[in-house]
Amino acid sequence: MTNMRSSFTRGWWFLAPGLLLMTLIVSVPLFMAFRYSIHRVFLYRFDDQAFVGLANYLRAFRDPLYINALKTTVLFTLGCLVLSIVLGLLVAFMLSSRQVRLRPTWLALFLVPFVVTPVVAGIAWRFFMWQQEFGVINSILGAFGGPSPYWLLDRETALAAAIVSNSWHLTPLAILVFYAALTTIPDELFKAARTDGAGPIQLLWYIVLPMLRPHMLFISIILITSAFREFDMIWSLTGGGPGRATTVLSIFAYDRGIANQDMGMGNSIAFSMFIIMAVAAWIYITVYRRVLEHEE
Amino acid sequence: MISPRTRRRLLVVLLHGMLGVWLIYSVLPPVMLIAASFNSTALFRSPLDLLLLRDFTLTNFSQAFTRGAFWFFFQNSVIISSAAVVITLVVCVPMAYGLTKISGRAKSVVSFGVLAMRFIPYVVLALPLFLVYVNLGLAGSRAGLLLAHLAIHIPFATWMLIGYFESVPPELEKAGIIDGCSPWNLFWNVTLPVVRPGIIALAILVFIMSWNEYLFALFLAGSNAQPLTVGITRFLGGAEAGVEYGIIAAYSVLIVSPVIVFALAANRLIVSGMTAGAVKG
Repeated sequence: MTNMRSSFTRGWWFLAPGLLLMTLIVSVPLFMAFRYSIHRVFLYRFDDQAFVGLANYLRAFRDPLYINALKTTVLFTLGCLVLSIVLGLLVAFMLSSRQVRLRPTWLALFLVPFVVTPVVAGIAWRFFMWQQEFGVINSILGAFGGPSPYWLLDRETALAAAIVSNSWHLTPLAILVFYAALTTIPDELFKAARTDGAGPIQLLWYIVLPMLRPHMLFISIILITSAFREFDMIWSLTGGGPGRATTVLSIFAYDRGIANQDMGMGNSIAFSMFIIMAVAAWIYITVYRRVLEHEE
Repeated sequence: MISPRTRRRLLVVLLHGMLGVWLIYSVLPPVMLIAASFNSTALFRSPLDLLLLRDFTLTNFSQAFTRGAFWFFFQNSVIISSAAVVITLVVCVPMAYGLTKISGRAKSVVSFGVLAMRFIPYVVLALPLFLVYVNLGLAGSRAGLLLAHLAIHIPFATWMLIGYFESVPPELEKAGIIDGCSPWNLFWNVTLPVVRPGIIALAILVFIMSWNEYLFALFLAGSNAQPLTVGITRFLGGAEAGVEYGIIAAYSVLIVSPVIVFALAANRLIVSGMTAGAVKG
């Protein structure tokens, strides 16, 4: 009994300082975001605040620009998710093949996009990849006699280009997770399937995919969280333009809160993002538990 | 008719070829930056001209150092990132350890809280903090920016560390208890050495996250605490982007090279550290 109690208190002594600090530095801004979101408050006149209830939210939801930003964010998030998962799975599957030499070296180099500063990555893509006349992409397209779109300067293509650039940054995470998971699949399984005459595509479809389901869920939520809040990469690629073509919610909140100095509105946009993410997290945790139970 | 053996060989070649294509895709944007930073870029040039260093020069770097207030931003980046690493480790290592020692409902509530915080979009923290800091007198200070970084790092680091601590076999501590170790001794001398590789990997990841961070810096750094990521966008805004993209490239190279060197030097550690967290879910 004393032993149990002492081991109980022991844990809390280690835990308490960090828990306190974490709660403080996360919950204070979160609470203030909610507080500002239900007040009329402007950037350099915050002594002059007035409670307005849900007016900021109503104003946001009625604003076509908010709806547009929401739509853009959803498209951006889904685009990054699908692209990163598909490419990550393919690369991890190829890399996990036993015939590939120097696998750790490949993997290390594949991680480079993930650590490159997103602002800098945005600059690199903007000046050297998407650039209309001298960019790498149009140079390659041109060599095959393809068209040379304006990419980031064209409303039609800017979002797609931003998705590609951001998933360039995120795919390494998917590769890493899938690769780690694939190395835990016993070789016998592949061998057995291969003696039954399965080709690479059948292996991927019938063995790898079903076994990777929990990892697929795990990486999905990481990618969704990351893409949903993305600011840096889009900011340095397009700054939210052309027009509003790449204005995601993070950028829209900045636009309203800091640039327009309407902090009430800015915070209500940001807090609506928090609510969306909270729902997503709740769904994820419920589904994840169910999948784990199913596996067991 | 192709024999099975040649077929397999072809497949291996094809496999390496496709991985090679992916490798080029992965490194091309940073490689283009490096190439452009060593070229005189008074004129626009084709990618090939840049890669072949047709117009080699080092002036972009001297310009980047002198014109962009580089050292001021660099100093802020180094101070904030290092402080973030130290504080995160000092706070999170005991916290994660403590979390594996408590049990029952309290444990699941706290771990759920830590996990939940990782979903928070950064802008929800950054926007209100702008006003909070103005009220507290923290606006435009390194301390304020550091606190915002910690709001991201602490949940992330704790979550990773829980995975490491849980992988330590409980027998180890039981042996320590029999030998009469104090709780602190158990933590410091018995368990901590086992998870040291994970902690180093985490330290590097936290440093990279802080070094790369831009959103908080844009919102909260004012004009006294700006790190390099804000520095380059300021520079970008002031520069005639067309004429000076060589200097911008040099500036970018200076920002990312420490991170890439770090990541490549410690890649084994980072890979195993990140997958330990990932496989656990």
